Amino acid sequence: MHLEYFQLIDQVVALDRTGRTIQVEAQVPVANTIFEGHFPGLPLMPGVLLIEAMAQSSGWLLIGLNGFTRMPFLAAVKEAKLRTFVTPGQTLMISAGLVHEGSGYAVTKAEIKVAGKAVCGAEITFRVVPFPNDAFRASMESMAQTIGFPLEAAGNG
Amino acid sequence: MSSTFDTVANIIAETCDIPRDQIKPESHAIDDLGIDSLDFLDIAFAIDKAFGIKLPLEEWTQEVNDGKATTEQYFVLGNLCTQIDSLVAAKAQEA
Repeated sequence: MHLEYFQLIDQVVALDRTGRTIQVEAQVPVANTIFEGHFPGLPLMPGVLLIEAMAQSSGWLLIGLNGFTRMPFLAAVKEAKLRTFVTPGQTLMISAGLVHEGSGYAVTKAEIKVAGKAVCGAEITFRVVPFPNDAFRASMESMAQTIGFPLEAAGNG
Repeated sequence: MSSTFDTVANIIAETCDIPRDQIKPESHAIDDLGIDSLDFLDIAFAIDKAFGIKLPLEEWTQEVNDGKATTEQYFVLGNLCTQIDSLVAAKAQEA
């Protein structure tokens, strides 16, 4: 997890195109300037970043399902529940599943667990559009390699 | 069993918090009801689920952008319901 670059996930653990689910791992940094303000003396992973981690995981699921042909952009977050505190150094296990694939949009449900315990969840809607340009797509492919995204399974190999 | 229009109108009323009696078959979803693109995603999701179809929003948008269709053909609710009925019938034929 590199908060400075808004990279909220570390590793794709599993992508199941048949079951239309993804499992992703992310390690909350032990130290970061964010924790100096959120909060002084009580460092907590901000809930909005947990939601972003679920959105990024869902996004990779959608890219995996569409064969790396289209890019999902966050459009709506519903029923977001932040059940307990997440603290520096904890390992997040993020799972997401496709709820519905519409025309130009998709809906997922995502959840984060820490040590087997659910810490947050949400239903997330994305606009899914063609990649804006080749450079953007190339940057996503580079990121895919960084996080161990199975490009071959997405029909991109 | 409620009509297609009743189902769609109820979805719009609930999704967009618009009084049900303001939603009529001749209402234009965008021009008359003020529904924006994000709310329309919610409506499309609810319609897809309710009718077991996939509204071809991208195809419709492309047709409008290319000047091959008008927004009225797809976003006046009576016309939208006709499109939904056609999609439902097409799906039933496939089954």
